Amino acid sequence: MSNMFVLAAANHNVKFHLMIIVLGGIAAFLPRYIPLRIFTNRDLPEWFNEWMKYVPVCLFTALVMKGIFVTSDTYKFIPLGHPAQIIAALFVIVIAYLTRSMSMSVVTGLVVVFLASLIL
Amino acid sequence: MAKKVETTEPRWLYVLGIAMPLCLSYIPIGLACGILLHAAGFNFVMALLVSIVVFSGGAQFLIASLLMVNAPLPSIILMLFFLELRYALLGSSLSKYLSNETHRFILLFSASMNDENYAINYLKFATDKNWTPQDALMVEHYSLLAWASGNLVGALIGSAVSINLEIVDFALTALFLYMIVMQVQSNLTFLMALLSAVLSIIFLTWTKSTLGIVISTVLASLCGFFIENQIRKHSNDPTHTLLLRKFVRPENTKDTIEDEQAKREYRERKAARQLKGQENEQSSAVSQPSSQPGEGGHNNV
Repeated sequence: MSNMFVLAAANHNVKFHLMIIVLGGIAAFLPRYIPLRIFTNRDLPEWFNEWMKYVPVCLFTALVMKGIFVTSDTYKFIPLGHPAQIIAALFVIVIAYLTRSMSMSVVTGLVVVFLASLIL
Repeated sequence: MAKKVETTEPRWLYVLGIAMPLCLSYIPIGLACGILLHAAGFNFVMALLVSIVVFSGGAQFLIASLLMVNAPLPSIILMLFFLELRYALLGSSLSKYLSNETHRFILLFSASMNDENYAINYLKFATDKNWTPQDALMVEHYSLLAWASGNLVGALIGSAVSINLEIVDFALTALFLYMIVMQVQSNLTFLMALLSAVLSIIFLTWTKSTLGIVISTVLASLCGFFIENQIRKHSNDPTHTLLLRKFVRPENTKDTIEDEQAKREYRERKAARQLKGQENEQSSAVSQPSSQPGEGGHNNV
């Protein structure tokens, strides 16, 4: 696993990183700016509002699934490939549900995944 | 203006106090993000730059993990765009408080808005009538400062300490899980999250690329949108149907503006029902005096 990170580091250079930052900055800026700019003067269309209610939750779930149940290089489905992460994910869900605190959830997740990976 | 409490505390300090819990929680996550960005090949200047320009935890973790698997640039940017699309909603819900501001202010404000400082500002705008857009911008800049410092330090110590990256990488998953829990508000959102989970596995293994995430997100969100539309069309009390009912949450965390509003509505409905019950009672008392005890409950059984 650590091999892969070294390889990735060697393959990229500063120019490529700058390109990611600039394009990523645009991709991050436009969704924040355009609606705020437009809708300070007029109302939001109803359909957009209702559709956007479902986009974040669906996206986050898909990303979590990819992180826990799919291999990052070959895209194979591995239901029990990361047992420590599965256990930690359950802890995070419970903590987030009970406290609604971002830092508590993330720190709990990191601690549990660390402990679980020592045992498993 | 005699009612206004005289404070010696300068405004920037007051706003800093409001932003402090957020800033403190940004530091450990920023550190983890900086370490991961460093591992993905970013030097500390780039890590600082990306945390200022993009300023979004999820997006930066995503950049790091996609770089590690050598994902192509268009794929990274497309994923980022979809990830940041949620800000469109946040921005438009704040827009009514910023209608008197200049274009330059809107530009500055939207550049450093993200999930957490939005939550603070939305709450302050809705509950504190002395809260100004300038205060809101200050909260954004404090949180940006905390986040960028966390990232910078993380990227700097990344080379000095050896940390199991698979563990640090879990910070991203934890962050997303937290945001899922915060976003699931009705039973239907919960179902759509499950649908998206299944679809994402199918499309990820089928397309063998991160495009699978985009496809499953679009399909599942449209599905939720259409189901909600159908329910609203065919039910006369849509917010209390099985699917659109609020997802059950622990009592101690019910402190958002929506919760307050829901509580108020609930009280009003209850009061209206009682009033109606009393009227019924009176009218039945007039027409059928014998049935009156039945109104109270079990005492006639």
